[in-house]
Amino acid sequence: MNSDISIVALSLQIALVATAVTLPIGMFVAWLLVRKQFRGKFVLDVIVSLPLALPPVVVGYALLWVVGTNGWIGQLSESLFGSTLAFTWIAAALAAAIVSLPLVVRSFTAALAGVDPRLESAARGLGAGSVRTFLTITLPLAYRGVIAGVMLGFVRALSEFGATIVVAGNIPGRTQTVPSAIFTRISSGDTDAAWRLALVSVVLGVLALVIHNWLVRRSSNNSDSSNGRAL
Amino acid sequence: MISFDLRLDRPGFSLDVAGEFDGGITAVFGPSGTGKTSLLNCIAGSVRPTSGFVELNGKTLYSSDKKVSLPPAKRRIGTVYQDGALFPHLDVRRNIEFGWKLIDESERRLNPLELAEFLGLSGLLDRKPDALSGGERQRVAIARALATSPALLLLDEPLASLDIARRGSILNYLKRVHAEFDIPMVYVSHSITEVVSIASRAMLLRDGKVAGFDRPSALLLGAAAAGGDIDNLENILDGVIGDSTDQLTNIRIGKVEISTRHQNKNQGENVVVSVGANQIILAAELPTRLSARNILKGRVTEVWSQHGKVFAEVDVGQKFIVELTENALNELGISQGSEVYLVFKSSSVDVFDA
Repeated sequence: MNSDISIVALSLQIALVATAVTLPIGMFVAWLLVRKQFRGKFVLDVIVSLPLALPPVVVGYALLWVVGTNGWIGQLSESLFGSTLAFTWIAAALAAAIVSLPLVVRSFTAALAGVDPRLESAARGLGAGSVRTFLTITLPLAYRGVIAGVMLGFVRALSEFGATIVVAGNIPGRTQTVPSAIFTRISSGDTDAAWRLALVSVVLGVLALVIHNWLVRRSSNNSDSSNGRAL
Repeated sequence: MISFDLRLDRPGFSLDVAGEFDGGITAVFGPSGTGKTSLLNCIAGSVRPTSGFVELNGKTLYSSDKKVSLPPAKRRIGTVYQDGALFPHLDVRRNIEFGWKLIDESERRLNPLELAEFLGLSGLLDRKPDALSGGERQRVAIARALATSPALLLLDEPLASLDIARRGSILNYLKRVHAEFDIPMVYVSHSITEVVSIASRAMLLRDGKVAGFDRPSALLLGAAAAGGDIDNLENILDGVIGDSTDQLTNIRIGKVEISTRHQNKNQGENVVVSVGANQIILAAELPTRLSARNILKGRVTEVWSQHGKVFAEVDVGQKFIVELTENALNELGISQGSEVYLVFKSSSVDVFDA
């Protein structure tokens, strides 16, 4: 039981850090995609969405290559900390972040697209800079969709397995998350213990999805009445 | 004073306009898609022109030669959009205060709460835009723009989403705002009725070019040729309720008094009156034994005619525009300076709350 709790705690920690990474990056990318016209927009869209279309194992393998001794992140962290990030919980969080980014960007894109751009230009005309406009107009009007995107990214990070196991391994107490622990327990025939963690996964997943769907419904009702585009 | 000479090239569309607007209310009008809003956006700074310049009171806001392009926030220009573009998550008070809070205290000439009172919004300060009528929303938008103490107020089709009753009321508020705060306005519209009613000068745009710049009434026929909405030209005038009988109510408009159907209003109440230009009959002599209740003597100040369509401006102590046919004009022998009588029924007058 004790190990169950620490496994769930580590999983939550990894998913939280992954979400903290995807939130600003996803927001910036979504903002670029919705509000800006620039060369390479299509390419950016494809790159950000790519993890959705790839087997997570491939994402993990690519990430391992980047954070390993040959990759630039790996060399950077080796010169700073004396070791690479491979097979650490940070690598697991990075893997989870990359895999959940497409979902987060998609949700944020829909949320931002629901905000009438004329409201933003009205705010600019009234003297607000672009950061203030984003914080006082865009974000408050899109916040339900943004939180929904965060929830979706969080559950995706929590259930990440393929990329994580390649880049972070399955080291009990260090990088073993709920999915990788279930995998170990199934492999070793410890079905009761596997079911326990599976149940925890189901509860967390249902909870997050219920919140997500509730927010999405609320935000589409909201934008209907303000003539915005529904999420 | 605002002066500009602008070019904007877009796929399938180009704008090439120059002009100089004084401190009054200047209309920019013409059919949809002719570049009115693009011109406004270039002045406001939300769209960057391809080349040219914009100057406001001698200050360069944009110049392709000098490589100057001030951001919208630094231009001291207030904009009122078609449907208000109010912030839906903020109540009326916070909408009005949004821009006011962002300017230097030394530049705050107009107080948001006084503006709200001036525009009849004092009782609505805690409401969200969802809970406002179309007319109230536009008044909030006007107050919000004025609260930044702008050097120029731009109005982009501010009445387009309102019904006729509200239109007269907002026009009336705009005139009062202009009289009270002395802020120059640029009023974009495709409706000649609004333009004639509110503006002292009008720029007619056609296919992205200036097709005329004159008094609004003088541009009437040009507007007709450009496809402007002049079929239902209305004389929109401010009035004050006078005395009433069971059937009729008198309304004073400037120096003249007209009869309307009985209005459930108190004497002295301000109203907006609308009379269709095609509802008024011109008579060369004083008509007698007539059922129409309004017979006003005046002088023709201007006549325009083109393609069989004729408009006459008649001063009866208050200027009215009358639509008539080429035949009628010739038969009556009316020209500029002729003494005429305006005739219209009391039921041809629409009366709205001011």
